[in-house]
Amino acid sequence: MKSLQLIKPYFLEKRFIIFSGVLCLTIVDFLQLFIPRVIKWAVDDLTALQVDPNGLLRYALYIVIIAVMMGLFRYVWRRCLIGTSRRVEEGLRNQLFGHIQTLSASYFDTTKTGELMAHATNDIQHVRMATGMGMVALTDAVVLGIAAIGFMAYINTTLTLFVLIPMPLIVFSARFFTRKMHRLYQDVQASFADMTEVAREGFAGIRIIKAYTREKDETARLETASREYVNRNLGLVRITGSFFPMMMLFSNMSLAIVLYLGGRQTISATISTGDFVAFISYLGILTWPMMAMGWVVNLIQRGTASLDRINRILETQPETDDRTDALSPDVAWKSLDLYDVSFSYDSLTPPVLEGITLSIKQDQTLGIVGPPGSGKTTLLQLIPRIYDVSGGAILLGSVDIRHMKLSDLRSRIAFVSQEPFLFAGTIRDNITFRNREITDGELAKAIDDAQLTETMASFPHGYETIVGEKGIILSGGQKQRIALARAIVQDKPIVILDDPVSQVDSETGSALIRSMKSLAGLRTIIIVSHRLSAVQFADMIIVLDGGRIIESGPHEQLMAAGGYYAQTFRLQALEEEPNGN
Amino acid sequence: MATNAAYFEEEKLDRSYDLRLLKWLYPLTKPYRIPLLCSIILVILITMLDLALPYITKVAIDRYIVPKMETTILPTDTVGDSKARYLKVDITESQTADIVRRYAPLFTREGSYALIRFDDLTHLDKKDILALRKGDLAGVSVITLLFLALIGANFIFNFGQVMIMEYTGQMIMHDLRIRLFDHIQGLTVAFFTRHPVGRLVTRVTNDTQNMHEFVTSFIAVIFKDIFLLAGITIVLITINWRLTVITFTILPLVVYAVIHLSVKARDVYRILRVKIADINTSFSETIGGIKVIQLFRQERENYRRFERLNHEYYQAGMRQIHVYAVFMPIIELLGASATALVIFYGGGRVLTEGMSLGALVAFIAYMRMFFRPLRDIAEKYNIMQNALASAERIYQIINNREYEHRTDGKAYEKPGLPERIEDIIMEDVSFSYVAGETVLSKVSLHIRPGETVALVGPTGSGKTTLINLLTRFYEPQAGRILINGHDIRTIDIDRLRSKIALVTQDPFLFSGTIRDNIVNGSKHISDEELDRIIIASHCRSLIDKLPKGVDTELAEGGSSVSSGERQLISIARAFARDPDLILLDEATSYIDSETEQKVQVALSNLMKDRTSIIVAHRLSTARMAHRIFVLNRHRIIEAGTHRELMAQKGFYFRLHQLQQ
Repeated sequence: MKSLQLIKPYFLEKRFIIFSGVLCLTIVDFLQLFIPRVIKWAVDDLTALQVDPNGLLRYALYIVIIAVMMGLFRYVWRRCLIGTSRRVEEGLRNQLFGHIQTLSASYFDTTKTGELMAHATNDIQHVRMATGMGMVALTDAVVLGIAAIGFMAYINTTLTLFVLIPMPLIVFSARFFTRKMHRLYQDVQASFADMTEVAREGFAGIRIIKAYTREKDETARLETASREYVNRNLGLVRITGSFFPMMMLFSNMSLAIVLYLGGRQTISATISTGDFVAFISYLGILTWPMMAMGWVVNLIQRGTASLDRINRILETQPETDDRTDALSPDVAWKSLDLYDVSFSYDSLTPPVLEGITLSIKQDQTLGIVGPPGSGKTTLLQLIPRIYDVSGGAILLGSVDIRHMKLSDLRSRIAFVSQEPFLFAGTIRDNITFRNREITDGELAKAIDDAQLTETMASFPHGYETIVGEKGIILSGGQKQRIALARAIVQDKPIVILDDPVSQVDSETGSALIRSMKSLAGLRTIIIVSHRLSAVQFADMIIVLDGGRIIESGPHEQLMAAGGYYAQTFRLQALEEEPNGN
Repeated sequence: MATNAAYFEEEKLDRSYDLRLLKWLYPLTKPYRIPLLCSIILVILITMLDLALPYITKVAIDRYIVPKMETTILPTDTVGDSKARYLKVDITESQTADIVRRYAPLFTREGSYALIRFDDLTHLDKKDILALRKGDLAGVSVITLLFLALIGANFIFNFGQVMIMEYTGQMIMHDLRIRLFDHIQGLTVAFFTRHPVGRLVTRVTNDTQNMHEFVTSFIAVIFKDIFLLAGITIVLITINWRLTVITFTILPLVVYAVIHLSVKARDVYRILRVKIADINTSFSETIGGIKVIQLFRQERENYRRFERLNHEYYQAGMRQIHVYAVFMPIIELLGASATALVIFYGGGRVLTEGMSLGALVAFIAYMRMFFRPLRDIAEKYNIMQNALASAERIYQIINNREYEHRTDGKAYEKPGLPERIEDIIMEDVSFSYVAGETVLSKVSLHIRPGETVALVGPTGSGKTTLINLLTRFYEPQAGRILINGHDIRTIDIDRLRSKIALVTQDPFLFSGTIRDNIVNGSKHISDEELDRIIIASHCRSLIDKLPKGVDTELAEGGSSVSSGERQLISIARAFARDPDLILLDEATSYIDSETEQKVQVALSNLMKDRTSIIVAHRLSTARMAHRIFVLNRHRIIEAGTHRELMAQKGFYFRLHQLQQ
């Protein structure tokens, strides 16, 4: 129930609105009950033939007036109650979004995106339904139910008791069915997911499928999955399909009771014909609150379950967070030092980095090379504290970076990751992050440094070209260069580049390397590259293998040593030769 | 830009469609004519029952509970009220005669009948009333029984209808889904590079599901709602046509309100859908790009943007509430006005023209019923709009005719493909994926029967492309490829591929058991053969360590086995195929050195006595080959045995020097 605290503020904020909503709803419910009353009067008068056209007009007018009032109050409650649920939805989603942004990278390594998305949409929607429709259904069930029964009892108590016999059946079967429906619905969803996976495999593995002429088998697999899905759906419909007709059946059973017993009583003049007719009307009104009662319980159950799940996310603490004693030192640092740094993603797996000790002087360039999986990217990610070191320490100046405020640390670093991530906006937005202080001149300079000027010219809208989700309209190399321009324009003292030339052709690559060289000596640069010519200019180069430093020194020294670096460098030089001979 | 167009094509779909869509959908329903017909008949029966139920109440009131006005036989001595309801009883029956005698002042005799004013009935003893009206009581019992029978039938019909309808709708969608999947699989590899997997999956799953909604809603609207509306109108007219005409004067207003509601609701629903999609995008973007956001400290800015978006969604939600809050009450108000009209005008008819009270009550009940299907149509309208957009998207894919050039076996039967692939010749083959960006330029080579050939060269030199052309994933733009002297284009694609085994760099394993992945659908592999394959492909030790051995299910993405082990399984798959031609695309590049040893042995087992082409990253792999082709810059620059190439002291020689 702790999670209810999450939505409490919204209820407090809107308490007057909720109150007026519930009030209006109650008024509507009573007015609604009044119409059968008017019909009863009219019918009674007509039975006794004791009414003139004026009287009838009066009754008709009553109905219209009541209907107009109902319309007005209906508008108000819909706005107030359903509106509140929308407000809850908005607030919760903001909270969730804001929180997710603060969580550290390791959280996202272990949590599937799809799962988080489900919380953001389905769970929040459940909470909305539970608050909005929940309030309405609850009010209706209570007010309308009690009042309709009251009116009926007023007309005739015994008959009312008889009529109510099938009603508990409605309440309980509504509960039973909606719960069962929910479970079956989840089955349907699960089989839908299975089917989706088969379809996905069928398309993602298309080359292997075609090469092994597996098309027929894949179709057969989908056929099985799809049939299972159809069966699950039929299972669900067996319940939903019997639910509403059954509700109808129960309420019609009440009607049969009215017809039989009420008919007898009307014949024996115990109740008037008007009463009889009104009774039938009330029955019609009573069916809904009975169903609502069963429904609302499930709605609220599901809503709280969703709220609990959301709450669990909101309670997750980021791993790399500011310590309470975090400093915000105004240090003029002279070097970035790593002392015996080790790292593993979790305690069970072997360390990815071990015994890394090195020092980078301010405005110098460090190159990092090594075979795939040697820990290069991981090492880079430790510096802006995407992950915290498992052992040893990283010091900026003389301050352990774990003692610094995250925002202070990161404000000094521009980072270009291997898989550049672009947002769906324009190219300009992706580079400047909508920072209006960046002038067009600065932007053009960054674009030029990132070798993008020509590419820009080829886009019809230049900087304002919308790149689509994850930059879908761009090639890998173009994305990489935009990410690079982003880092250049930020003008940060430390620039970290994770294989910035991996996806561009060699000519563009060389041009990019020239741009980076021009930054050397002005900024502290840490650069990882598979293309060794990109690190050649560095003041210091380290070679990682299996998480350890196996070689280090400037280019000339490493070439002379004739180890991994020298060998790889010569191989690449050969490949880059114009005609290969 | 091709990718650009593909990306934006998603958006322009919300335009109108035409009858050709329906025409295209119609044949899909053919195999399900009978259940569809059953379903429609049931809908009609249900509608009739729905219509009958209020009518039964009317009959109960008119015939038994409140007898008709006996205006014609009004006794003249009744002064004051010119009209009154009388109960007419038969006094030939002794019990009735006895009661009439006891309350003589209240009755007016008329031949063998006696009349009593309805109001005066209250002066009688309850028992006597019941005795007087035992005929009516019996009638009420009969009617109640009939009513019970009908509601029972209604329940059964409803359930049956929903089940049949769901079955039919789901099966039609199932067929469509399979057809669509089959169709997409038959398209060229180029199609798949242009269309993201996610989108194709959506077509096969979500869009077909939307179509299901379409089929069921369509039938519901046409056969239930419209039929019900027509039925109610007919019943109303039979009860009292004049009253019907009068009450229907507000119908135009209702129809207007309903149409207006559907249009407004649809518009606002579209906005909501777009906004929620934006919100989802924003969420997934934030999750995907969390590192960038945190590193560039964009949290606040990003949050602000999200908040704005979220607030727009909220506003759209409020607009939706507004639309419903205005129109729903208006429709209800119009409904109440109809009731008011019935009471005023119909009540008048009861007074002056002897319209029965039961008719009036029934009329009110039917008027109420009239509004339900109208609202239903308004809702279904939106569902159908949505479904038609899906239909349009499916239609676009079905209409795509980028089939692989499959020969039907007919036109090319004569050349065909002999039992074994023996020699392979490429003559001046040129290829580019995108016009203007050459990947292979005038490549010629000859591979002899049983020969193992290695392709080496820098990244992007066209090695994988060459393999793609041999499997006919792509067709060369110029030049030709001959297998045993036959142009590859004249060979049936399935037959060609059935003789080839491809092992790729990143082995693609299917979810399912290891056995399924190895055997790959060919059922004629016996357990002994499978054992032999497992041993030859060095899969024994990895399979033995798994709990269920060869029947272990591979989890999504095959995470229960390492990437090296996956590679071994994919080699076993190639073994099981018993191919004539083996294509290895850098099959050993992501493997640790210990596993690599095993893989190498497994591969040389596989290639024994078969024609094989290896794309090699490491030159040590290339040394296994009889001959080596060196590719660089879209061409073959050197060819020969390892020894010959070393002697040439060219590109290969230098590569080799460096890798030592």
